[in-house]
Amino acid sequence: MLRMLKPNAIILHKTRPQVGQEIQACIGCNECILACPAVAEPITIDMLNRETLSGSISAPIARFARACYQCGACVAPCPVGLHRDAMMLWLKVRLLSMGAEE
Amino acid sequence: MNNESDKKIVPGQQKGKPTHDQADIVIIGNGIAGLTAAVEARRLAPEKRIVIVTDQIHPTINTPALKQFAIAKLTREQLLAYPAGTERAERIHVVSSRVTEIHAQSKYVTLSNKRGFGYESLLIATGSTPQGLPENIPGRNFDGVLTLHRLQDYLDLRRRLGEVNEAIVIGGGVHAIETVMGLLYWGIRTHWLIRGKTFMGRVLDDPASEIVLNNVRRAGAIVHLETEVAGIIGRVGAVAGAITNQQEMIPCQIVLSCTGTRAATSLARSCTVPMMHKNGIMVDDKLRTSVRGIYAAGDVAALKNPQTGNYEPRAQWYAAVAQGRIAGSMMVGHSELAMQPFGVPWHATHLGELSMLTVGEPISSDPRLTTLTDTSQGGYRRMSILEDRLVGYLSLGSSQPDSLAIKRLIDEAVSIKDVTRSLLKGQFDSRSYLSNQRSHAARNMLLLNQPAAPLKREEATPTRKLPNTGELRQVAAQSQTNYVAASHPNHQLNEPQTDQLAPMAVMPFDIDEINPFSGNLPDVSFSGLDGTGLYSQGKFMQPRPGPATPPPMQPQPRSGLINGRTEQKATPNKKEASYKLWAYVNAEPEDNTGRRQNIHEGERY
Repeated sequence: MLRMLKPNAIILHKTRPQVGQEIQACIGCNECILACPAVAEPITIDMLNRETLSGSISAPIARFARACYQCGACVAPCPVGLHRDAMMLWLKVRLLSMGAEE
Repeated sequence: MNNESDKKIVPGQQKGKPTHDQADIVIIGNGIAGLTAAVEARRLAPEKRIVIVTDQIHPTINTPALKQFAIAKLTREQLLAYPAGTERAERIHVVSSRVTEIHAQSKYVTLSNKRGFGYESLLIATGSTPQGLPENIPGRNFDGVLTLHRLQDYLDLRRRLGEVNEAIVIGGGVHAIETVMGLLYWGIRTHWLIRGKTFMGRVLDDPASEIVLNNVRRAGAIVHLETEVAGIIGRVGAVAGAITNQQEMIPCQIVLSCTGTRAATSLARSCTVPMMHKNGIMVDDKLRTSVRGIYAAGDVAALKNPQTGNYEPRAQWYAAVAQGRIAGSMMVGHSELAMQPFGVPWHATHLGELSMLTVGEPISSDPRLTTLTDTSQGGYRRMSILEDRLVGYLSLGSSQPDSLAIKRLIDEAVSIKDVTRSLLKGQFDSRSYLSNQRSHAARNMLLLNQPAAPLKREEATPTRKLPNTGELRQVAAQSQTNYVAASHPNHQLNEPQTDQLAPMAVMPFDIDEINPFSGNLPDVSFSGLDGTGLYSQGKFMQPRPGPATPPPMQPQPRSGLINGRTEQKATPNKKEASYKLWAYVNAEPEDNTGRRQNIHEGERY
């Protein structure tokens, strides 16, 4: 019974409420996107935030989410100390789960 | 996308004859709080008629990003807080007008064109107005004296930048320093006038202020402490310089005033039922004002600070978004979604190379508090600790710590006994710490088959290493002893308390935290453990002390949850007194009805 839980699991990710909280705290300054090496087309932070949270994922955002390779370059420039990498991972999870539904 | 009923809401304007329109939800102001509330209300109530009344000439923008706009890192379009067309897509009607009066008994507002507009519930999200320069300063009307607050002010600033060589920035807060950094970015010789002896005297202590000021000085600004503008000199209508109270004349082409804001409470005064307001419109944890059916959110709302007990507005982005969401769910009757308390103030920003973070009350002079400071790695950190809980945290340095997690440490009153050092050194890995606490709480709960003790009592084994099997067994053995210890007679003493709480048993962690990504993945079926199906999102409904509170305040029951309930039994009078301000509010807290529905919250994201 004691092996049911991984006591020292490696933490990859922020949980869903935490990601929601981070997006609420995002001030939209665009610094993370400016720092991103993976972004290939114009992405606005409002679209990214909104589609990370809920709703349908548009094609540019989906391409961006697939291109994101979690390098973490977006974390350091954030003036309010948020973790865009965790938000992107969550977006990837959403993308996968939506793909599974379709 | 629009249906017929929506078109009826906003008919064409009829000249002369007063008309009376009606909507379920009327929101005054299309700042971030207003629009967030509207979007949230639409999500929860697809059929309600939602109207935003605003006299702002632009859609909702990311106001904190205006400083990036000032240095041309962003275009105007990138400032939009929601994708263009969100209002239309969400069937939120925007009426471009100004509300002049609130008729609270008959539930309608008067617009500036004498039209009446009926509402079921009303949200005041009028934001704040800048204080600007004092009225009696000579020359305050010269061209080039700007008060930076709205988008228009920043557009004005951007237009003028080309012909500015020297500038004066007035103000002693974050807004001022961000403006200074922006001007320095353009290579403008910048004088910064601060009234006080230090920068942000109420939030930063002297060494921290010195670090910030030196940082700004290194960047090229000329800082004038204890200096105010006595008068502004103009030449043929435009600013040519300013005279300070130190009898100094500073030549400049622009004077920027960043002296703080005041909540725009004029609507509270023009409400037919007296609405409590002081620094802002006073609201409770669910954003209800003292008038039935009227809510307030954003800069205009004054919430109780859980640490000091004072009602004060939180003129901050994050607070406005969070309040907008809660106001939105309250207005459509989903009070169960408004359980999330706002917690302590939190501010994080970059000042050039320097990251600044303040959470809670880092410079409280309370004698019971222990204060720790650290200056390693070129930064500065200061922590205020009450017993083993964090009360305030201040950090200056080259990297930004995980600011929201530190806020969470304070809000949830988690014991920081084991991480004090890493917090102080700025090397705190909050993600793994909080998650570890959760997984220990989860394990105990599963093993003991009862609600876990509050998080702060959890024993956190210091775990920074990667797991290996040997260690796993060790931990397993440890927790076995924990289990034995827990069933020790000592524990039985706590039984009555546990019994009382048993019906409210909820998971000690968010259901969302059981996922492969956070590593908290139990591969057991939970159904056997507790048939009540109360694995709600829960937001840690187990009893937990509020944020550590300096005297004379008692630990506040947070948003009338379980603490409130137990207190209610013990001291009913006291409970009543604390709610006198909102006497119309049903005295029975919505605990029971609310908790089960919390599961809906999971669908949010």
